[in-house]
Amino acid sequence: MIHTEIAIVGGGPAGLCAAIKAAESGAKVIVLDRNSQLGGQLIKQTHMFFGSQKQYASHRGIDIANILISKLEDYKDKITVMLDATVIGLYEDRVLTVDQGGKYIKIKPDTLIIATGASEKFQAFPNNDLPGIYGAGAVQTLMNVYGVAPGESVFMVGAGNIGLIVSYQLMQAGIKVKGVICRGPKFGGYAVHASKLRRLGVPVMPSHKVVYAHGKDKLERITLIKLDENKKEIPGTEFDIEVDVLCIATGLTPLAELLWQMGCEMKYISELSGHVPLRDKNLMTSLDGIYVAGDVAGIEEASSAMVEGSLAGLCAAKAAGHIHPDFEALVADCHKQLYDLRSGPEGEAIRKGLSKAELKEVGL
Amino acid sequence: MRIEQHPIITFNKGRKVQFTFDGKVYEGYEGEPIAAALHDAGIRVLGHTHKLGRPRGFYCAIGNCSSCLMVVNGKPNVRVCVEKLKEGMAVETQIGRGDIK
Amino acid sequence: MLERTGVPTKENIESVTPLKERLSKGPVAIIECFQEIPCNPCYTSCKKGAIKELIDINDRPILDPEKCNGCGVCISNCPGLAIFVVDESYSETEALVKIPYEFVPLPKEGSFVTGLDREGKPVCRAKVEKVLNTKAQDRTPVVSLIVPKEFSMTVRFLSLNDHYSDNTIVCRCEEITLGEIREYIRRGYQSLEEIKRISRAGMGPCQGRTCSQLIMQELAAATGKRLSEIKMSAFRPPAVPIKLGQLLGGDDHE
Repeated sequence: MIHTEIAIVGGGPAGLCAAIKAAESGAKVIVLDRNSQLGGQLIKQTHMFFGSQKQYASHRGIDIANILISKLEDYKDKITVMLDATVIGLYEDRVLTVDQGGKYIKIKPDTLIIATGASEKFQAFPNNDLPGIYGAGAVQTLMNVYGVAPGESVFMVGAGNIGLIVSYQLMQAGIKVKGVICRGPKFGGYAVHASKLRRLGVPVMPSHKVVYAHGKDKLERITLIKLDENKKEIPGTEFDIEVDVLCIATGLTPLAELLWQMGCEMKYISELSGHVPLRDKNLMTSLDGIYVAGDVAGIEEASSAMVEGSLAGLCAAKAAGHIHPDFEALVADCHKQLYDLRSGPEGEAIRKGLSKAELKEVGL
Repeated sequence: MRIEQHPIITFNKGRKVQFTFDGKVYEGYEGEPIAAALHDAGIRVLGHTHKLGRPRGFYCAIGNCSSCLMVVNGKPNVRVCVEKLKEGMAVETQIGRGDIK
Repeated sequence: MLERTGVPTKENIESVTPLKERLSKGPVAIIECFQEIPCNPCYTSCKKGAIKELIDINDRPILDPEKCNGCGVCISNCPGLAIFVVDESYSETEALVKIPYEFVPLPKEGSFVTGLDREGKPVCRAKVEKVLNTKAQDRTPVVSLIVPKEFSMTVRFLSLNDHYSDNTIVCRCEEITLGEIREYIRRGYQSLEEIKRISRAGMGPCQGRTCSQLIMQELAAATGKRLSEIKMSAFRPPAVPIKLGQLLGGDDHE
């Protein structure tokens, strides 16, 4: 059994920022990630991030991953990184069981930060399981990490930021995007992302959905239908489009199995896109010393995930007996950054969701 | 198909290696997921399901969904979206749930 | 509506278009960001203080065109690629439009491309004046296009395919290409009437309905005149093709 002061599950934007701030506070940290490299989904984000300088706005996700990883290296003596290490169990006595390349390892941390991120939502329509129908993350991984074109022509389902951004990235890789649809009458992503696509001649088509996928062994064609303002199908408006890839970008849902296993108090909150742990203002769950950060606590942008990571890192370190010399100021700054990122009209749903996920006030 | 030109990314590929898929020889880059090399070769169907026999490709490509299970070097149920390609690997289409040997 | 189409409306664009006097003075940024989102690199990257401080990070950027010198630093810093620079002082008839372009291959300086509008539709032929791709741009190169002045607020992207290249058909009735028209202009035929007579473009069954507009654009581009200064050619009956027999058999002479 390995003992550590803090274990962080997930080395994405939230986990990395948590590790940096915890180590900065003086705590001994183990970062576990199931992939062979750190960075989580940042390693496929080729676009510039929004936000402010504090969240590396204007930097591309791929570069932010490298910035964070190099910061991690400044704390080599404090931080141990375990790659290809999948946490398979989390028990009530706070023991983590880990599979690392076929080896079964147990870790007992004093405090724990769960930053496992999210998984993609799926859509129900006939033949949705045909090869050629992929999650948006899969398409991004294939083209941006491994340099393989997902197909000849792609149709995108979902016009949130992910759907719009991945469509743009497909065009950058020289792959034709035949259109982007969403069910509602307005697309959900930022207007500037949609405008970028429109300038490229890519149709952005709200009020549409896929009703059928066609193909023998793999996708060849899809049937779309128009929807009215209430997202009801308008009969007789079906039409077909030939594509070999259908990309599903209809949202993410928190990857929270470990929190369930441990017995954290969970709640379904639609604004946060699924079951999320109840937590206090400093991201501690209903279980003492168990913290969350990033998408596992509710789906948001990577910029908020990074700030949440820093906040959880500071507070988990304090719980483990290491108080950062600037603790009060840094925590206040994290709260301020999160407030700013969520305060606009686009953050309305998040604010509503978070108010439902609040555990209790903490006196700091 | 490989993306040859990209405005943002420079791809660091490993060395070229050979592997077999259902007995036929293919090329890929060492260390990339098996699924990436297969996809480059135009192979979309990685298996057939145990109940309805439906064709299966990958879905999430990051080891979440286990849609991409294949037989690798005789071992069934390998997630090829995260399993790294090595020289001489024998990759086979998986039919159903795979057999215990 | 922007949130349904992804294309800024006429009202959106008008709200960020500087006054004519300012536009004619020289380069100025056009910030086509119409939604309150948490983002501020335009403000932090502007050395001139031309973008009003975003006290709330969700505020929309407001440009002071008098402080902006059109340097274009904000273009590559905008994560939404929503900033352009327009310079209507470029020449008597042409304007410069600076566009962020994150694609390969990059256009070549001096080459002709097609200027596209906000829906990706071809608008005009454009000459690539400059391609700025420095380290500071961080893989968001900025392409400067020379476009006819009337398209300075329309052209917002480019296609490397020169839709308006020499072998493009201009007059479909008589099958006259752009190359031929350009050659006649070079040889001194500098009005629509002259070109019509020498090339037969516009003398086919459609009577110039499809080609006149294109020839006039070409004349404007070559002679440096505005479209409004190009004279129409004469119109004579018949306005549509008719059978000669109809004329011969015609009405009694008065």
